[in-house]
Amino acid sequence: MDLAEGFRNHREKIVNKWVEYALSTYISSGFFIKERDQFANPVGGNIREALNRLFPLLVRGADSKEFLAPLEQIMSIRSVQEFSPSQAVAPLNAVKHITREVFAADKERKNLVHELYDFEFAVDLAVLAAFDIYMQFRERLCQVRIAEIKSGSHILTDSRCPSKLLSADNNRVLTKANGI
Amino acid sequence: MAVPKLQQLSKSVVQGPSLATGAIPTRDWMDIPVVFKSGNYAYPAKKEKVEYLNKQSGLHFPNAREWSPEDEDWKLPEGWQEIILKGLKERLEKFRSLKIFMDCCVRCGACADKCHFFLGTGDPKNMPVLRAELLRSVYRNDFTLAGKILGKMAGAREMTVAVLKEWFMYSYQCTECRRCSVFCPYGIDTAEITMMLRELLHLVGVGINWILEPASNSNRTGNHMGLQPHTFKDNVEFLVDDVENLTGVKPNISFNRKGAEILFITPSADVFAEPGLYTAMGYLILFEAIGLDYTWSTYASEGGNFGLFTNNETMKKLNAKMYAEAKRLGVKYIIGGECGHMWRVVHQYMDTMNGPADFLEIPKSPITGTVFDNAASTKMVHISEFTADLIKNGKIKLDKSRNSHVKATFHDSCNTARAMGLLEEPRYILDHVVDWVEMPENTIREQTFCCGSGTGLNTDEIMELRMRSGLPRANAVKYVHEKHGVNMLSTVCAIDRATLTSLMNYWNPGVGVCGLSELVANAIVQEGETRGELDEGLRTML
Repeated sequence: MDLAEGFRNHREKIVNKWVEYALSTYISSGFFIKERDQFANPVGGNIREALNRLFPLLVRGADSKEFLAPLEQIMSIRSVQEFSPSQAVAPLNAVKHITREVFAADKERKNLVHELYDFEFAVDLAVLAAFDIYMQFRERLCQVRIAEIKSGSHILTDSRCPSKLLSADNNRVLTKANGI
Repeated sequence: MAVPKLQQLSKSVVQGPSLATGAIPTRDWMDIPVVFKSGNYAYPAKKEKVEYLNKQSGLHFPNAREWSPEDEDWKLPEGWQEIILKGLKERLEKFRSLKIFMDCCVRCGACADKCHFFLGTGDPKNMPVLRAELLRSVYRNDFTLAGKILGKMAGAREMTVAVLKEWFMYSYQCTECRRCSVFCPYGIDTAEITMMLRELLHLVGVGINWILEPASNSNRTGNHMGLQPHTFKDNVEFLVDDVENLTGVKPNISFNRKGAEILFITPSADVFAEPGLYTAMGYLILFEAIGLDYTWSTYASEGGNFGLFTNNETMKKLNAKMYAEAKRLGVKYIIGGECGHMWRVVHQYMDTMNGPADFLEIPKSPITGTVFDNAASTKMVHISEFTADLIKNGKIKLDKSRNSHVKATFHDSCNTARAMGLLEEPRYILDHVVDWVEMPENTIREQTFCCGSGTGLNTDEIMELRMRSGLPRANAVKYVHEKHGVNMLSTVCAIDRATLTSLMNYWNPGVGVCGLSELVANAIVQEGETRGELDEGLRTML
């Protein structure tokens, strides 16, 4: 019984547990886990799809560049939710433990637990890449905010109305600022 | 083995400080207090804005002060509980709908998973049923026999500072989009519960600046931006120049012209901020192409009505100005531009508040002769209804190939879709002016997902929250972007145009946002035009 076959046989079980684990980090997670329509349940749908895509890449030790798309799918969501950075990334790490547990519970494949080094190394690389991606999305969020401020939508408030600039209060501030 | 076990990993994740983690809560929802921190609340209203509004006749905005949601003490007025309970009593007597909504919910949960805030956050207090329970629990405690006798067992609780803070948190995590109401078997309008929560909060001086400043600006100068007449006029004239440069045809415009047949009112964002500017250029081109006898007003220079997000008195006052101006100018009726909540106010509340507008005529298109009976009472026609009728009667010449740079999809704005049933007209127009595809069925028409930033939540200090609540919408756009190469999200709402731009910049870079009238104007073939190849339509830089 080799490792590849072990992964093939247990793929569905491992990924399902992984998805459930990732979604259990939300307070009200029942719906996120249960609903399979990706448009009715975008958080659950995207995380399920992305982890399903990511798992075979980890198994075959793919180049970490290949991880980017599924990791972005997950991290784009988790980096704007109320998680600390480590909380945002942590569910990725879980697959190591889930895989060990699933193999250990299977009498015929218990011994495979000792052969998981490469797989776990791939998970480590994915976790590291996820931190980078988390930061990229935080940066993007910041840029979005700046772009909005520059676009003129901010004029809804705090606008520099010409007549307001000429008001007595402002004149005092302006003259003071100019040393007059 | 140095590797931590799964349970230990969970523990370390779960015990973090964040709200949205922690799997299954161990305490009753009533026992979990809200925590305000930078980024999860919109800034409170500035003292001077509240003072100004409070001085206006017919308006009541007490307790102006400096305060912060992060402070323990919100500086509430003395006897604030009585003020809230008295306010609730008055509203239960005044609005029968509120009384029914308080009594008839059976907590079936049909609404629970329909809210974009819940879908984006996983926070159970964003389930519409639970958001309503925040108010209903207080209602039970003080206004029902069961609640008075059984207290918490009957789902009742006293009005405390903690409850008030919870109201503030969650009534500003609702965009009053009414998607949940579509699924409610009892037809409970959960948006109206949020409206009541916000009204009650204003009674003790709790409100946000992004709403009260535009509301006070509207009261003062007629529009959210606080633009004075000369500035508003200048901006429209700039757009006229732009249109002439692009097409060779200079639109004729007028301001405050008495005796014009039609008064045109649109959100002020259309004449001031991208990408609304292109929509406004679209109106100018369309009206010029058909030779419409219309006027702009520098007083009714705002379609939006932030009173809807504040209280019914402010909504009534701001809505009245549009009709007062129509009366003053002696027009026959009003055409309204691409706005969301203006149409909700007009269709659902205007008649009760300020109607019927008997001094106006039932709208009749001067070009096609079509009578808009649907607007018989409000005397106000939506630009898309008006345009679709022109196309149907062959009154404008369109060249779809002029939009060949665009592959569009259409976002139904919550208010026009669910509050006025404007579903077919925009689609009919799109069919004639551009190549476009629909987003998935459960995200469009009456099931449309909100942009996530409506009802005055389009402020940048809560950008993360907006990205979360906009996820369901963005997720559907992403699907058509990847599957069909969609590069433009069209819509008929000014707030959408501003907020979806940010939403796309985060979730789907490469997808732009435009108003429907921009696409119409891109395709219009005008008499006497000298336009060259405009690779990006009205957005082409010459």
